[in-house]
Amino acid sequence: MIKVRKLSYQYPESSRPVLQDLSLDIEEGEFLLVIGPSGSGKSTLLRCFNGLVPHFYGGQFAGELRLCGQDPVAVEPRGMSRYVGFVFQEPEAQFVVEAVEDELVFALENHALPQATMRKRVEEVLDQLNIAHLRGRRVSTLSGGEKQRVAIAAVLTLQPQVLVLDEPTSQLDPQAAEEVLDALVRLNHDLGLTIVLSEHRLERVAQYADRILYMPGQGQQPILGSPRQVLEQVDLTPPLVRLGKALGWKPLPLTIKEARRHAKRLKVQGLKVKGFGVEGVKVKDKSFSIEVHDLWYAYNGHNVLKGVDLEISPGEFVAVMGRNGAGKTTLLKQIVGLLKPKQGRVEVMGLNTRQADQQAIIAHIGYVPQNPSALLFADTVRQELDFTRRSRGMALGGYGALLETLDLSAHIDHYPRDLSVGERQRTALAAVLAADPEIILLDEPTRGLDYRQKEALAAFLQREKKRGRTVIMVTHDVELVASCADRVVLMGDGRVVVDGPTRAVMTDSLVFASQVNKLFRDARFLTVEDVLENSQV
Amino acid sequence: MFHPLAWVLWLLASASLPLLIQHPLYLLLTIGAAWLVYQMVRRVSPQAALWGSFIKLALFVWVFTVPFNALSVHFGEIVLFSLPSDWPIIGGIITLEAVVQGLLGGLKLVTLLLIFAAFNSGADHYRLLRLTPGFLYQMGVITSIAVTFVPQMMAAGQEIREAQTIRGHRFRGLRDLLPLFVPLLTGGLERAVGLAESMESRGFGGNVRAVSYGEELLTKLGTLIALLLALAGVLWYSYSRSSVPTGLALMGLGAALLSGVFWRLSSRVERTRYRRGLWRRRDTLLTLSSLALGGGLLCIWLMQRSLLHYSPYPPNPLWPDFNAGLGLLTLLVAVPALLLEKKHD
Repeated sequence: MIKVRKLSYQYPESSRPVLQDLSLDIEEGEFLLVIGPSGSGKSTLLRCFNGLVPHFYGGQFAGELRLCGQDPVAVEPRGMSRYVGFVFQEPEAQFVVEAVEDELVFALENHALPQATMRKRVEEVLDQLNIAHLRGRRVSTLSGGEKQRVAIAAVLTLQPQVLVLDEPTSQLDPQAAEEVLDALVRLNHDLGLTIVLSEHRLERVAQYADRILYMPGQGQQPILGSPRQVLEQVDLTPPLVRLGKALGWKPLPLTIKEARRHAKRLKVQGLKVKGFGVEGVKVKDKSFSIEVHDLWYAYNGHNVLKGVDLEISPGEFVAVMGRNGAGKTTLLKQIVGLLKPKQGRVEVMGLNTRQADQQAIIAHIGYVPQNPSALLFADTVRQELDFTRRSRGMALGGYGALLETLDLSAHIDHYPRDLSVGERQRTALAAVLAADPEIILLDEPTRGLDYRQKEALAAFLQREKKRGRTVIMVTHDVELVASCADRVVLMGDGRVVVDGPTRAVMTDSLVFASQVNKLFRDARFLTVEDVLENSQV
Repeated sequence: MFHPLAWVLWLLASASLPLLIQHPLYLLLTIGAAWLVYQMVRRVSPQAALWGSFIKLALFVWVFTVPFNALSVHFGEIVLFSLPSDWPIIGGIITLEAVVQGLLGGLKLVTLLLIFAAFNSGADHYRLLRLTPGFLYQMGVITSIAVTFVPQMMAAGQEIREAQTIRGHRFRGLRDLLPLFVPLLTGGLERAVGLAESMESRGFGGNVRAVSYGEELLTKLGTLIALLLALAGVLWYSYSRSSVPTGLALMGLGAALLSGVFWRLSSRVERTRYRRGLWRRRDTLLTLSSLALGGGLLCIWLMQRSLLHYSPYPPNPLWPDFNAGLGLLTLLVAVPALLLEKKHD
């Protein structure tokens, strides 16, 4: 199906090749998962398959590539669209028209297919992806998961033999990601469609993949093999696999179901617990850094927040979780004073947001938005940090230690947008923390980060917390919460549904629990470290 | 809903009312009819926009036009009060007639806006774009991208503004635009590249049938001749009052030739259309009623223009006349409301 021989590629203004002498065969009906740290050339390789590389980007291309017997370099992306369906990362950026049905036929119209064929194809893909109920909708009204399924349907109408997806779930929340991945698994199983997928969330797909291609980047040779083989050799793995590797479980478990067998045996072998019980939320004194009392807020006539009560003490690390549309972001905006309560009261460091000056409130707060690119504008990392300090009327400089802990010292004079996703995220964090705020707010900080980058972020936030900073993080990432937050606030339909210590909340929940916790169902175990520290192998 | 072509025709016929008529009673009737149409369209059309914002805009326009006329025209018999005559422009008597005239002028704008609002609530912009001929297809697609791109940019702009505000950014001078514009611009560019990739990998922009050199030359020559003919017609029409028909004929000839060339060009692009654009009985009926409305109006305008006009200034009476026939003609605006069934189709 796909044959790659000694493929090398170098971007136009780059000093070293992204791909070097890569050889690879992908069979018909195979589900290939491509993993690797960001910047390792995953996207580039995928773009070779339909000719976007080199046609769209230029650069030096060498080697041989055949897909369904076609040469993408000669046929060009337009011609390749009959053989390869390509789905991109950003759900919004790939839609041409507003109506779902028109989006589905866009490719068909370009290929001048007769109307009767188009009708048939549209009905087919609507059923294949279970989106028949969306046909009359506008693209802008769809949820992230629905958008990606429409995007997949829009390329499937041409009946390609290969479906290539470049991190299709990195911008989605877990539920939406699951919807999309489920759809892919079904397409692969029921239609035998060849799927090439690059993905960070291994815990969801590793079990379905036939093979994994690990691209380490930096000129090292990629590893190709069965999921277990590859995950055995790679340290970019989900918590469950990490646990299995550390405890020497064979065969390496990919799902909770497979791991449960081993977990049982582990307990039989006598797991010794160095008694740490569930710690309660410590109320140190009566002064809260954030106090929300009976907060109501309506947007476009319907209530988004319905009587939220929340008290957060200095030095607490709180994770706010919940479905999309549960009011998490609205609550954040209330805390920073961008929105004012319709009813009730919000106090930040003793300042009532309704009366206090906005500048006085934000002087205490550092806010890292979902998309770090929203902050970055300057020519160098240093200028970004200086800008924040100047805006707050602080002396320039004095952030050397911050850059050191965030591992950015080497990039201080680099252009922020040229950095990798993880580095950019850290630059945004540094830019916000340059003012040394008492309260740190983060909105979905782990989108598009790989396991290693997430770990680094968790460690950094832990350190900030130990320095007495209050950290509030809105996130869907259960593993991140398990590894660093000490309190979870679960929101649903504009209310606080559950508020308690992470260990208690996770053990009590089926959905909002980490892999390790799901495996043991024990409040003592949230992370791999929890298990390793307390077991004697 | 209606076929886009029939719907556009309704818009043209209905919009000609407030453009040609200067008479409060007919305008009020038209507003009533447009409201009725909106009420029906709202029930069947999924994309019906909120009428509220249009009403607000219309009232805003109205409130602004009234004082403008009332304060600047100092003519009439019923004097309300007077301003010192040495004040420039606004000095002088303020009359009821001038206020009424201002109200009337505003009413015309309001009527036009509301007709457009009713049209808009039943219009599928993408299908309207598809009415463009084949060779203009790319332009249509670009416009439709702009339609979806702009709201995304606005949302991104909002996000950036909020994030920078919390970071401590305040607007003090032009330099402070950078933190807002640079992320917006670079983000927009990144999104544009993404969209281009997505379109390219779905086969956009290919499939133009190759033609012989002779045909290529022929279409180019045809376009040139057609444009020259039309230009000559326009010049003839404007400068030689005696031979108006010749000018009109030349313009018509040019237009016909141009559409011939366009037709040839569009047959060269190999693309098909998904939407059948069903033409139903109701579309025929709507087209007929729109033609009747437009035609009737044009006849009256050509033959008895005074019927359409009302002026509050003396020696006219302040209360306008009403012609029942013209009133009935105005009501044709409401025809779409009668043709639409209640249930969704």
